Amino acid sequence: MRRAVYLLGAVLGSSIALAWAQGGSGAPTDPQIAAIVVTADQVDIDAGKLAERKAHSSDVKAFAKRMVTDHSGFNEAAVSLAHKLHLTPESSPTSESLKQGGEQNLAALRKLRGKAFDKAYVDHEVAYHQAVIDAVDKVLLPSAHNPQLKALLMKARPVFVDHLEHAKMIRSSLGAQ
Amino acid sequence: MALLATASLTGRAAQPSNATHTHAHKVIIEDMRFNPQTLVVHRGDRITWINRDPFPHTATATNGSFDSHPIAPDGSWTYVARKAGEYDYKCTFHVTMKGKVEVR
Repeated sequence: MRRAVYLLGAVLGSSIALAWAQGGSGAPTDPQIAAIVVTADQVDIDAGKLAERKAHSSDVKAFAKRMVTDHSGFNEAAVSLAHKLHLTPESSPTSESLKQGGEQNLAALRKLRGKAFDKAYVDHEVAYHQAVIDAVDKVLLPSAHNPQLKALLMKARPVFVDHLEHAKMIRSSLGAQ
Repeated sequence: MALLATASLTGRAAQPSNATHTHAHKVIIEDMRFNPQTLVVHRGDRITWINRDPFPHTATATNGSFDSHPIAPDGSWTYVARKAGEYDYKCTFHVTMKGKVEVR
């Protein structure tokens, strides 16, 4: 039987790594997956709210606003589904790691301003969305039991993919300036 | 009887409409996609975009022919396609969302 330790958001500076090693505490349960999804959204909402205020470039500001709007909307849908399924989100090492990673990112971003802020925020958004997509594909979707929870993850995936592409485009345009 | 007499006087009821029969089409916006991605319609047809995602989208022609502006979650926007042609459109909020309307 395959068992997994899943650690999403192993944060080193502004980078996020997804580590999914063999052995350990097993795949996440549905209540843990619900908490991971909600936390992943909230972390990006918090970073977006900071960037809406602090970003230098209008493109970065608009992107940050989009992150807040989309993830807030999606989170409402996720919480509503969890409630309907009588699924009480339950914290796990992954959701805690995501939360801590988000707080560290905010602390690092608060020290920056101007173009340095924009670059750090956008770089992190690229890494973050890629890490979340990897987690959805490799850990969350294979582990989810409830079909409606699986469907929610399937709906979340294209949102993250779009945001990743958008963040990459902005990163390229910032690099060209 | 009074209604019939009125209609007869104005001629509205007696004459069949000469207008070309038009259709109503729907494009469902869901999971960051326009569905169908390519829609073929005839001039005069109505197209309604319905947003089933939990955040706003737009349907914006790249040549400026039409622009829904933000369509709220569960909201919709209707456009009457008057001029023949191929119209690529996108969501201005989401870089991966593209669609096409062909008006014949």
